[in-house]
Amino acid sequence: MVLVTSVRDYINRMLHDISGMKVLILDSETVSNVSIVYSQSELLQKEVFLVEMIDSIPVSKESMSHLKAVYFVRPTSENIQKLRYQLANPRFGEHHLFFSNLLKDTQIHILADSDEHEAVQQVQEFYADFVAGDPYHFTLNMPSNHLYMLPAVVDPSGLQRYSDRVVDGIAALFLALKRRPVIRYQRTSDTAKRIAQETAKLMYQHESGLFDFRRTESSPLLLVIDRRDDPVTPLLNQWTYQAMVHELIGLQDNKVDLRAIGSLPKDQQEVVLSSEQDAFFKSNMYENFGDIGMNIKRMVDDFQQVAKSNQNIQTVEDMARFVDNYPEYKKMQGNVSKHVTLVTEMSKLVEARKLMLVSQTEQDLACNGGQGAAYEAVTDLLNNESVSDIDRLRLVMLYALRYEKENPVQLMQLFNKLASRSPKYKPGLVQFLLKQAGVEKRTGDLFGNRDLMNIARNMARGLKGVENVYTQHQPLLFQTMESITRGRLRDVDYPFVGDHFQQGRPQEVVIFMVGGTTYEESRSVALQNATNSGIRFILGGTAVLNSKRFLLDLEEAQRIARSGSHMV
Amino acid sequence: MATRNRTTVYRKHRDACKSARAPLSDSFGGPVIEMVSGSFARSNHSSYAPLSTNDPGPSSDDAFTIGLPPAWVDDSEEITFNIQKVRDKMGELAKAHSKALMPTFGDNRGDQRVVEMLTHEITDLLRKSEKRLHNLSTRGGPSQESNLRKNVQRSLATDLQSLSMELRRKQSTYLKRLQQQKEGQDGVDLEFNMNGKMSRLDEDEELGGMGFDEHQTVKLKEGQHVSAEREREIQQVLGSVNDLAQIMKDLSALVIDQGTIVDRIDYNIQNVSSSVEEGYKQLQKAERTQREGAMVKCATILLILCLIMIVLLILKNVLF
Repeated sequence: MVLVTSVRDYINRMLHDISGMKVLILDSETVSNVSIVYSQSELLQKEVFLVEMIDSIPVSKESMSHLKAVYFVRPTSENIQKLRYQLANPRFGEHHLFFSNLLKDTQIHILADSDEHEAVQQVQEFYADFVAGDPYHFTLNMPSNHLYMLPAVVDPSGLQRYSDRVVDGIAALFLALKRRPVIRYQRTSDTAKRIAQETAKLMYQHESGLFDFRRTESSPLLLVIDRRDDPVTPLLNQWTYQAMVHELIGLQDNKVDLRAIGSLPKDQQEVVLSSEQDAFFKSNMYENFGDIGMNIKRMVDDFQQVAKSNQNIQTVEDMARFVDNYPEYKKMQGNVSKHVTLVTEMSKLVEARKLMLVSQTEQDLACNGGQGAAYEAVTDLLNNESVSDIDRLRLVMLYALRYEKENPVQLMQLFNKLASRSPKYKPGLVQFLLKQAGVEKRTGDLFGNRDLMNIARNMARGLKGVENVYTQHQPLLFQTMESITRGRLRDVDYPFVGDHFQQGRPQEVVIFMVGGTTYEESRSVALQNATNSGIRFILGGTAVLNSKRFLLDLEEAQRIARSGSHMV
Repeated sequence: MATRNRTTVYRKHRDACKSARAPLSDSFGGPVIEMVSGSFARSNHSSYAPLSTNDPGPSSDDAFTIGLPPAWVDDSEEITFNIQKVRDKMGELAKAHSKALMPTFGDNRGDQRVVEMLTHEITDLLRKSEKRLHNLSTRGGPSQESNLRKNVQRSLATDLQSLSMELRRKQSTYLKRLQQQKEGQDGVDLEFNMNGKMSRLDEDEELGGMGFDEHQTVKLKEGQHVSAEREREIQQVLGSVNDLAQIMKDLSALVIDQGTIVDRIDYNIQNVSSSVEEGYKQLQKAERTQREGAMVKCATILLILCLIMIVLLILKNVLF
């Protein structure tokens, strides 16, 4: 709740004090921030009758001086330039500038210089610089996500920009929450260390006045970790509703784009899946596929009942009641068809790609032992014609991550088989993954086979059997959260920045994953928060990954690393 | 939730920049009188174009020269004013409804008339506002202005629709209670009737039947009169319910469905750009169809004329 409410509060405050007809001007990033928490009809209620993008403000001759312009943009140099141009020829009656992050003094100076007509009424910083998709999950939607995998020497300016954007996002989050955290990072990741140190510098030195909030008994904790510590979670196929939609079709800013899939009626080509607006989705987003099917069937039955009673119109009163309830009825109908369409499309994909078969092996690779059996299973699936290329790649990657050191001969055989079967496979991608996220690079106990406790736990679980073989995987994040809850997060693995220290357990923890989060991890966080353990977790990342996106990042990083090594 | 106000810093910089600029321009200005389009002009929402020779001269499409909003803003303001009036009148109507429904000994025709009048006024206001609302629809291609108008239209349509629904609900409850009352009264009349009939039968043997008959007839007529009036009222209320239903139907086309993709800001922004192209294509198609349509019409007329001529020719030959 807290993330969505903060952004909404910011927007409400922006629009509240300005009366009259307004136009809201956004840039390409803030449009996501705003659209995900605020709807068009709510904007209309606040008398915002026009929404524009800052880059596409036409140089038209229409005079809009009866409108008041509310700008909400990121304080980047491009936006400042565009603002300069617009302030030099102001089209609106009043201009109110709101920036989603900290402004540098030079930027203020530039703006003031070009404001010859004195068109600007106010300049404020409102820190809604992140995309709050779910109550405890945010993302920064960064485009060049792959940069975190590369060493700093390859593209120093790119990495600097990347790191700056992350630091800005984290700073905005804590300003919105009005907290200043104690910072820890994952020792083995250079990018995480860099980001943690720069955030600490910002919060405790450069802008320490701004971050000087009222101290609570225990400071919150910011933990910066790296995606490469858990490369398994983004590679797995998902079976819970929200994660599955993102994995199979793709969820962007809580919107699903179904236009690529077959022919659908016009109002179902793009749909919204938001837990704030859709009660059915809210109660089913973390359920597995089988349960969702049953719940949808129940919803359809309820709807059919209502539809039948609506057809039974005999008296004037019935008619009046029908007209009164028509908006509700239409909304229900839209909702039902949306979910039915989604589940139908996903079932089709599951069937076509034989995902039940593939996913079983994936889960075995991720959770259970037995190298020999695993090798057999993977080879069988590689030989299976109906398995798609991307699924083959994922299987080999999971095998390689697990059995990296055992039986290198068989591993080599798998690589060769993969290369021969999949023409589009870029050779060396699996090896690149191992170089980035292999067993030496990882801190956490990903497969539960390092720590004696974990081995015992796995054996016990194997004996007991699992409820659902498709959802048995727990992301590494779950173990991290448990360690934090028990106060046993090892200093060796996750050191503090500088001379920070923490007394006791924190009550609020923000975990930022450099490289991106997945919806499976967001589900884990939501379920953990629901147990009311006394600690509230918030998860954020540079992007929200599915297997396609993760593989894309890997390929991009590999390409750059290769071209870089040629140059060297 | 933390914010930081940079306006004072900004203003300081801006004033510093202005004073840095001003002495510079003075040096070329000479004896020319400059009118500064500065802060005092802003506060009046109009501006005086600077007359100095240094200035390249304001172009006629300087956004500052005319501060008047376009004409359609008047429409939207009037509709907003009407909506406020409707809200006030709905409050009065609620009071009038409850007064008219109170059981009275005398004739509450005056109350009913008040109810009628109020309902008429409100329905009129709503209908007028709805017609005005259609004026806000744009002609011509999509532009920033038309997008603005469309959004204003949507917002007002939502308000009007919710008001109409409220009115309908109030009316239907009033109607229901009226009907209940009417039945009650009819029941009384019926009883009266039955009693009247029975007593007439009883009295028939006696000679005083005539007088009683008259008495009964008068009472009957009164009862009928009252129920006829109730009928009329109910018909009237039904009529206005129908009117409202029509208005609602028209409005629902304009209102956004909440929670769907059309309620997303980013979707609407994307669509503006794509709809410009679509609009252009549609215009071209329309033009083509129209031209062809005209052709077809001409051809048909010519054919008909030919047929007429042939008929006349035949007639001429037959008659002569």
